[in-house]
Amino acid sequence: MREIPDLLVIGAGLSGLMAAYEAAEAGLRVKVIAKGLGSMHWSAGTVDVLGYAAGDKAVSMPLQELEGLQAVAPHHPYVVAGAEAVTEALSRFVALAKELGLPYEGAEEPGRNLWLPSPVGAARPVYLAPQGQRYGDLALAEPIVVVGFEGLRDFYPWVIAENLRKQGHRARGTVLPFALLSERRDANTVQLAQELDELKRVVTLARALKEVVEPGERVGLPALVGLDRHGRAMEVLQEELGTRVFEIPTLPPSVPGMRLYRALRSDLEGRGVEVEIGMEAVGYEAKEENGGFRRLLWVETATSARPLKHRARAFLLATGGLLGGGFDSNHEGRVWERVFDLPLAMPQNREDWFRPKFLDPAGHPVFQGGVSVDREFRPVSPEGKRLFANLWAAGNGLRDCDGIRERSREGIAIVTGIAAARSILVALRREKHVH
Amino acid sequence: MTRRLQTEILVIGGGATGVGIAWDAALRGFDVILVEKRDLTHGTTGRYHGLLHSGGRYVVKDPQSARECIAENRILRRTHPHCIEDTGGFFVVTPEDEGEYPDRFVQACAETGVPCEEIALREAFRREPLLNRRISRVFEVPDGAADSFLATHVTAQAARQAGARILTYHEVTGLLLRGPEGAREVVGARVEDLAGGETLEIHATMTINATGAWAGQIARMAGLTVEVIPGKGVMVAMNHRLVNTVINRCKMPADGDILVPIHTVSVIGTTDVRVPDPEHYGIEPWEVALMLAEGDKLVPGLSRARAVRAWAGVRPLYQEGYTGASREATRQFTLLDHARRDGVQGLLTIIGGKWTTFRLMAEKTVDKACEYLGTRQPCQTATTQVPGAEQGHYWLGHRLHEVEEHELHGDLVCECELVTRAMLENAVYRNPTLTLDDLRRDLRLGMGPCQGGFCTYRAVGILHEMRERAGEAGGEVDRSDWEVAYMQSPAHNRSLPPPSSLPLALSSPNLLLRDFLQERWKGVRPILWGRQLKQEMLDSLIYLSLMNVDHLPDAGLTSPMTAFYEQDAGDVGETEAGV
Repeated sequence: MREIPDLLVIGAGLSGLMAAYEAAEAGLRVKVIAKGLGSMHWSAGTVDVLGYAAGDKAVSMPLQELEGLQAVAPHHPYVVAGAEAVTEALSRFVALAKELGLPYEGAEEPGRNLWLPSPVGAARPVYLAPQGQRYGDLALAEPIVVVGFEGLRDFYPWVIAENLRKQGHRARGTVLPFALLSERRDANTVQLAQELDELKRVVTLARALKEVVEPGERVGLPALVGLDRHGRAMEVLQEELGTRVFEIPTLPPSVPGMRLYRALRSDLEGRGVEVEIGMEAVGYEAKEENGGFRRLLWVETATSARPLKHRARAFLLATGGLLGGGFDSNHEGRVWERVFDLPLAMPQNREDWFRPKFLDPAGHPVFQGGVSVDREFRPVSPEGKRLFANLWAAGNGLRDCDGIRERSREGIAIVTGIAAARSILVALRREKHVH
Repeated sequence: MTRRLQTEILVIGGGATGVGIAWDAALRGFDVILVEKRDLTHGTTGRYHGLLHSGGRYVVKDPQSARECIAENRILRRTHPHCIEDTGGFFVVTPEDEGEYPDRFVQACAETGVPCEEIALREAFRREPLLNRRISRVFEVPDGAADSFLATHVTAQAARQAGARILTYHEVTGLLLRGPEGAREVVGARVEDLAGGETLEIHATMTINATGAWAGQIARMAGLTVEVIPGKGVMVAMNHRLVNTVINRCKMPADGDILVPIHTVSVIGTTDVRVPDPEHYGIEPWEVALMLAEGDKLVPGLSRARAVRAWAGVRPLYQEGYTGASREATRQFTLLDHARRDGVQGLLTIIGGKWTTFRLMAEKTVDKACEYLGTRQPCQTATTQVPGAEQGHYWLGHRLHEVEEHELHGDLVCECELVTRAMLENAVYRNPTLTLDDLRRDLRLGMGPCQGGFCTYRAVGILHEMRERAGEAGGEVDRSDWEVAYMQSPAHNRSLPPPSSLPLALSSPNLLLRDFLQERWKGVRPILWGRQLKQEMLDSLIYLSLMNVDHLPDAGLTSPMTAFYEQDAGDVGETEAGV
């Protein structure tokens, strides 16, 4: 019989994987189960920590906003974790990313947000950018040439350039033939990125780019410059062109997000962490314990027509909220957490879910609710009472945050993933000590 | 500067009826101008469930309407076959509908000439396996599903070919009046070109008010009172075809008693609530809940299926002197001859009726106009096919078949509804495109499960690219071979080199984005829960997190449609409109 893991992580998004990493690094036996791949595959692949504060105020120094956050959202995950934990978790991510060969960098001035071009040419507030996107920094002076590919349906260079110009940047757009990327007309960005894992193709692309890039320009390309050999492809392009090259994220699927996911997952597997995708948690078993709360024994999945019990000493819920699939909802206005039916701080009436305008700066209440946790990231009841002796929660399913609205999704995932893992470590050590 | 145009007949309103009148009058040799304040079908024509009535629905309650429906049903199948899917229809008796109605229904069908045949339950369940198994009787009638967007566009094309001028985004701001009170005459209308910014005076011998639920507002401009009974109907589109046959409850018409399979969805409808204003109304949570509950009686489990959208249309019901509930008001149409009724010459108002009878309404209206203008030729619309009729009836698989046959997968802009880049480009060349919503009506862009999540960005990118590259090729390409009737066909549309200029009235990509995101939001908000809510959050992730659309330049720009999209029609109980 296999040994029972110390920690079962439910969910393979950024928070779950960061928690798994932190726990495995500290020597715990960790297993990750998840229904699907998590939302990294949909995002820009950047680490957004806080781009807009209350009242839609653009944030330039995210870590300095945390105090203000406490006043408007006292249960915000950053507030729960504390400023020190936020700073430390982000440093931890930077160190890990470097180790993974997928370095992430912040602005020249430490603590400042970068502003990077979005796929429509708006300025995105980003705290840490993968190296491939770093030179999109709109604080840099060099003019930009955005290069697209004829007929590529997920990237439009002229609209990016026009909007950048409207914001006072020097930018222009141009296109190259699609055939430079692939012979397949119906290829998506991931398939195109895989084509650029081939060195020969990168060299051909570099030659074609030379023809259209003016001296002094930096080059913005759709984020499809290699999947597994991204670093090499970027190096070759910059060397051949003698100028800075950067990626601009595209519509999902997100190649930069997938790079991070694949690097993290293979690192975890290298550490002996089992990552099982296709395992949807559908139930659990718990026993009553002294002190009034319950101890989880196992989480059940139902894959391939049979129930499976996943036992562990500690459990981390990192299934996300409505987007990640951690919550479900119905037309009667009920929203519920799908594995443990944890109480949610959430309007339970559809009339209170939304505001009339899609882009309302205050966001939509239903996207802002979630699981309540205590300072140790353990789920609690509305009265603040801990619900299980060995359950923790992390990620964008936590209450009082709106990762999409705030541009804080990855920051919340990393900070809470690491903070929850640390809390788990302390608890398991304490337990060992007691027994 | 005011431009002056002269015509014999001025038609106000670009819905099915107005366009039908323009077609009919142009075929009879009249000089015709039609003005519509938005895009064609912006009003009730574009906001109904798409039923081609057999007449079965009215046989007991409104036999005259039933007779008109079955006659027109047969005509439209010949004149507009490609706008109609021959789904057939069932009238089903659920446990709640037993009693004497089914037998009365059968008899009334016979009396009105609506073909009706009782079929074996086994056969009915074989054809529609999801139907409620507690249904005790099933009658088959020749109902169908109609694409009212396409039908209106091809009818407009036919009208243009016969010489009519169709002006969209031209809003009537006043009627041109002549003569003293008591001997007043309407001699045309003052019109704002919302896209071009120009003011027009259109002088006409006869002005026809075909504005449906808005008819009272136009009549008021001539000092006349026309009491329209605006009956709001709410509809909910369920993802996928839960049925392939129109399903009606066999009972007196009531709320939520019809399920229409149309294109890729099934539409459950409707409510009937009298509203004060055709432009301002909400979708109430109880209306959506009622549609789902009633839908469960036809297809058990419908309420747990994925809903993709809810919308409401306003029936332009009319009954002189009527003050009761809109559900009880007649579905027949009325032609008001204001010379006889009010002593005001030069103005007719056509009101009431339903999509199925639009051609007949047009015929009667133009007949009346002939009494004043002199007859040129008899009506020809019952025997004249509109462009594209050679395609035969619509069938669901045609787009996928064409995409596969011609290997167009790489050209898809909207994967949900199979819209290619060339379809989009050609639709833009055709007429002024002020918003992506115009393209949605033409092509079904953004109407699928993701509700514009992916195609909004792509369409904006392509439209902007077209503007950017206009004039690049130098020479003008002949686009005349491109036909409106084939606008929904992936195979018939090919990409052409950029033209020297575009009929794009509005070109800010940022405004196109904001407008369409809000337009889609308005219609999904009432049905966001479960998987569609998850989908909507992904769309938010794309447009906020990834694109930062809410912080683009040109934030202050608005289109003629912005206020309409922002108006709280998708209201689920809040009163924050305008905040």
